[in-house]
Amino acid sequence: MTVRFGYTILYVPDVRATIAFYEAAFGLTARFLHESNLYAEMETGATTLAFAGEEMAEMNGLAIRPLRAGDLAQAVEIALICDDPQSSWDRAVAAGASPLSPPTAKPWGQIVGYVRDLNGGMVELCSDMTAIA
Amino acid sequence: MTQPQTPYSPHPSRYTELSGGADPGRGIEAVWVSVADKASAHRVLPDGRCDIILRFCAKVSPINSITVVVTGPTTRHYDVVVEPGMGFAGIRLRPGFFHAILGLSPVVLRDGNLVGEAAIGACPPLADLCAEATSPDDLPGRLVAFVHHHIALGHALPPIQTLSILSALHASGGRLPVQDIARMQDISTRTVQRIVRDATGLPPKSYARILQFHRALRLLRDHHMRPSEAASEAGYADQAHMTHALRDFGALSPARLADVTLVTLGD
Repeated sequence: MTVRFGYTILYVPDVRATIAFYEAAFGLTARFLHESNLYAEMETGATTLAFAGEEMAEMNGLAIRPLRAGDLAQAVEIALICDDPQSSWDRAVAAGASPLSPPTAKPWGQIVGYVRDLNGGMVELCSDMTAIA
Repeated sequence: MTQPQTPYSPHPSRYTELSGGADPGRGIEAVWVSVADKASAHRVLPDGRCDIILRFCAKVSPINSITVVVTGPTTRHYDVVVEPGMGFAGIRLRPGFFHAILGLSPVVLRDGNLVGEAAIGACPPLADLCAEATSPDDLPGRLVAFVHHHIALGHALPPIQTLSILSALHASGGRLPVQDIARMQDISTRTVQRIVRDATGLPPKSYARILQFHRALRLLRDHHMRPSEAASEAGYADQAHMTHALRDFGALSPARLADVTLVTLGD
């Protein structure tokens, strides 16, 4: 039996608005949007970042604490590796992301900044640790 | 209104939700038809929804005696007695859209229905739905056209904030406290209470308890969870509280669940 990490799925209030935001703020592109507008995948390589409408939680018999910009950030973050974390952070904030922490150098040599997305989800913009190693 | 196949009569009618009927942007959650093939009692569970229903006799053609019924948001189950050949075509309205479509507040219909002349008196355009029809197949389209027409007339659609609050309640299975929703939206709890009541006809606590009840039913029936596990996952203090809710809302027990259609915002 093998198991591999395939998806991170964020339940969001508006899938199409979230795609538009992630494209404008982080330069990602969508690779799939279901005709229901309740599910989408971004082009993120082997591990997929996906968005599901909040309605999907109820449809699947799940219950979630929904993402909202006014709420305490949830105990999870999306980390995006950037060539230039400062430029990426500036672009995200210019596109409407809420600044949490500007990119700074960490003791282990990585540059790390944080923003919150349009739904209040926490996003880390960081340099590539493998380049340091 | 959750259409039932009841413990009294497991398959009393052919209840079908039409594929492609949902149109969330215009307030339509589902379009459905049901024709009874034998006398039976249908148990209707509370689901916080309002429906516009056309009741007719499917044995005659053309269909010339159509009664319009507007069901309000209910907080307890009730039974509908049907005779063979009695047909229904209905449209389930998305929570929050009742006023935009009918020009009425759902508050006035809490735990009640408007039938026939009473419905038409409250909303005169409903009379058009009762015109003779060649076939029962015409009626779902008639209901959809009615909703489209009234949405297009420009009655105020529910504000984004209202839809966001309702979506949060649904996504959390009714477990999100009103205080938390108020904090998320940066408004007062009193404002949340008013918004939910105006949109659904029910206070937020009642609406949340109905959502919680539906989720518990789904966990027991579809996820085959043990009652103690379902009670915990659905957010009840213990199994006894869940059993109490099942009895109050549906006259059900964990060991005796109805074969009902459970509805969600995404249907």
